[in-house]
Amino acid sequence: MLRSPRAIPYLLLLPSIVVIAAVVLVPVLVSLWSSFTPYNLTRPATLFTFVGWRNYQRLFANADFWWAFGRTLVFVTVALNLELVFGLALALLVNRVTTGRKTIRTIMMFPMMFSPILVGFQFKYVFNDSVGILNNALFSLGLITRPIPWLVNGALANFSILAAEIWMSTSIFAILLLSGLLALPQDPIEAAKVDGCNPVQVFRHITLPFLMPFIYIAMTIRSLDVARAYDMVRIMTNGGPAGRTELLWTLIARVGYQNSQMGMANAMGYVSILTSIAFTFYFYRKLSLSRRYMGGAE
Amino acid sequence: MSARMIEQPWQRWAIRFALFVALAILCIPGLWVVLTAFRPNVEIMARPPVWIPQHPTLDNFRRIFGLLPAEQQGLPVADYFRNSLVISVTSTIIAILVGMMGGYAFARFRFRGKKAMFLGFMLSRTVPGIALSLPLFIVWSRLGLIDTKIGMIVIYLAINIPFTIWLTDGFFRQIPVDLSDAAQIDGCTRWQAFWKIEFPLARSGLASAAIFAFLTSWNEYALAAQITRTTNAKTMPVGLMDFTAQFTVDWAGMSAMAVLIIIPALILTFIVQKHLIAGLTFGGVKG
Amino acid sequence: MAEVHLSKVVKRYGALEIVHGIDLDIAHNEFVVLVGPSGCGKSTTLRMIAGLEEISGGTISIGDRVVNSLPPRARNISMVFQNYALYPHMTVRENLGFGLKIARQSPAVIEQRVNEAADILGLSPLMDRLPANLSGGQRQRVAMGRAIVRNPDVFLFDEPLSNLDAKLRGQMRVEIKKLHQRVKTTVVYVTHDQVEAMTLADRIVIMRDGHIEQVGTPIDLFERPVNTFVAGFIGSPPMNQLEAMIGSRPAGPVAVLADGTELPLPPEFAGRVTADQAVIVGFRPENLYPAGHGIPAAGQTLDMDRTVSLSEPLGTETMLFLDFGGREVQAKMLNPRLVAPGERMPFKLDLGHLHVFDRASGKSLRA
Repeated sequence: MLRSPRAIPYLLLLPSIVVIAAVVLVPVLVSLWSSFTPYNLTRPATLFTFVGWRNYQRLFANADFWWAFGRTLVFVTVALNLELVFGLALALLVNRVTTGRKTIRTIMMFPMMFSPILVGFQFKYVFNDSVGILNNALFSLGLITRPIPWLVNGALANFSILAAEIWMSTSIFAILLLSGLLALPQDPIEAAKVDGCNPVQVFRHITLPFLMPFIYIAMTIRSLDVARAYDMVRIMTNGGPAGRTELLWTLIARVGYQNSQMGMANAMGYVSILTSIAFTFYFYRKLSLSRRYMGGAE
Repeated sequence: MSARMIEQPWQRWAIRFALFVALAILCIPGLWVVLTAFRPNVEIMARPPVWIPQHPTLDNFRRIFGLLPAEQQGLPVADYFRNSLVISVTSTIIAILVGMMGGYAFARFRFRGKKAMFLGFMLSRTVPGIALSLPLFIVWSRLGLIDTKIGMIVIYLAINIPFTIWLTDGFFRQIPVDLSDAAQIDGCTRWQAFWKIEFPLARSGLASAAIFAFLTSWNEYALAAQITRTTNAKTMPVGLMDFTAQFTVDWAGMSAMAVLIIIPALILTFIVQKHLIAGLTFGGVKG
Repeated sequence: MAEVHLSKVVKRYGALEIVHGIDLDIAHNEFVVLVGPSGCGKSTTLRMIAGLEEISGGTISIGDRVVNSLPPRARNISMVFQNYALYPHMTVRENLGFGLKIARQSPAVIEQRVNEAADILGLSPLMDRLPANLSGGQRQRVAMGRAIVRNPDVFLFDEPLSNLDAKLRGQMRVEIKKLHQRVKTTVVYVTHDQVEAMTLADRIVIMRDGHIEQVGTPIDLFERPVNTFVAGFIGSPPMNQLEAMIGSRPAGPVAVLADGTELPLPPEFAGRVTADQAVIVGFRPENLYPAGHGIPAAGQTLDMDRTVSLSEPLGTETMLFLDFGGREVQAKMLNPRLVAPGERMPFKLDLGHLHVFDRASGKSLRA
């Protein structure tokens, strides 16, 4: 509906574009440039020494980087999938009760308003081996006699940060999927029942396809800010013990700010940026496709 | 809806029990932190643990505001709180104004490059905070914006605009175009039609977008931790780290500060929860 | 005085042209209906008159002003939208008064004009309700009230009745007609429903694919359609159309149908058809009737016995389906009696009301 001079939409978008360009686009280009330099915070002049692919070559030859990268991919994949499963289960449960749905939904929003740094602190406290509520509870129930070193043992620490991440983000899935379930038209479900489907078949063939766009919205929204997990891990373990929970993001902070190797850190940063964009783009495409399938506009 | 399903009593109880467990898991960690904020240190360290606070106290709060001169010196929590408030409120107001213009453009106009631009805005949001902080640190230090409130406000503006655009696009699209047309025929300019008809109708949606933006700024850590240094601009989440030393954590002080961070967030979220969900799903599904 | 003149008006979206230079003159206080199938450009034309769409070419004037570059608010028009477009956050009273408020009328004037409009439309008991609490018909009335309050030069209606059920649509049609008789104003009304067009219009404009096919009074269009499209669009059920060839006989030209039946043509076609011309012959169902069950023809008739394949009783009349001239046609039976499928009946075709169109161009061959 081009009902006015063509310039108007661009004018309306101009301030947004300027801000994004200044705070994201330009810095990302600076980041790209500095990833080809040996830039070190302590020696500013090094920002203008071009070293080609050297940072990337060193990076790809570095086992610590690959460990962190692989751990990040596994962490994100496992977390997103579990959040989806738990979120769907929770949404289906809430959809089955008829009273107090509003209150329940409000309680479900509880973790969403927590700052990730707060979630990190909270779980650092929950999993603390001497004063944590988890060990305290296990002691009181007589299930353990010695404290479990949740954040000190490598495997347990990974489990702990995963638990914290899932606690933080399952609600988003649950709430979005619940609104999908509430919008679900009853006619096709009744038709399927009349056609002889059992509850599992109804879910598989009617409910789930209808929920797909909602699942992709949740996935898209989540993939926009998976890196928020950095804040949480930063305070819980900061990559420790001995690098056993090191994610790409904590590694970047360590290399960039503690070791002042900005060039190298930016090279890693670029890897993380491209990975995030790939994730988001993938889900966004899926969302567009399923929307077309649902008959949404444009 | 589901009430029409035939349910056995035992099924109903199983569902209720499962829900109760799930909701307990969602609530207990936070509750535990809140309880801790009101406990004396002895009780926190006690073994066997004290479940219900026996000696509730406000000392932890007094201490972090430096109101207990006797023992430790207070942290500049009041400064952090003020910084957080100034930065979050300012960036939210501007983000809503700017984002609303953008959302309106996407909802009401057809123009070249629309889809690519929308995707571009969304993708700008995907850049991980910590990865963005590196070049921002470089650029901001050249511009002298490190450790300034204005520096943080601009950054949060950029973080909040894409999401505000997504939400307001959805809200404006729920308002039929005919209403603006009718208003223009009734004698309004397009500008008047927007302020008298479309803006009031989108107001509740805009309010929830604003609260979402506020929470994002209020809760952000990764960027603030690198860009702010002192009481000039340091925000609450960054201040929270003041309570951790190399090997020890001041659980009581941290819990008190956590409560201070969570209370505004709690109140605001409950106010807008309904609109927020509607906005997210509408913007997404009807694309 | 508010005539509306459209001259060579064109609408393009990029390379796509959807209104191809139409000319139309609407007289002061005339009720003109734009009608046509969806996508014919009628709504776009209306929105160009309203100023809601840019005009890509040509000129539109209202009164003696060219309004091409004027925004809607400067055109002194009002419009009723298909979905009513009531402001959901305002009461009925506020909706009605909004335009006057924008025009900075004094509260006393607004009050008085709003109450007048409310009286005319019977809205007085609803004044403090929100649109969400109104029925479809009530919303429709508020939308019309909002239009008349401002005393516009021209009323525009964009398919205003299409969201109502059949019964309400009939009622509102009557109300709109009464309203026009009471509040004399120029009206441009868009619809896809030919019944609405026939019943409401002083003049009908039939559009197809961005062109005007025919302009005329309802009776004109019904009796003298200029082409097969108009013939098929106006009238319900539609005109029967049969393929035929022209043959010349001593008594005058005849149309030879696929089954060999010869139909002598009315005198007005003499000299306008040539032998062996491929044509379409049309006649309306009411001109084919069972003997004794129709309006007796003034002139010559073709008599035949035919088997009825289906009958649709409608009360005052019954529609009969039968094979004639190589295809199925509809006949109308007045003073009906029960007709069983398969029943053989004597039919009369009124030859004085035949229409003949050139088959290639679809154009009427009438003088």
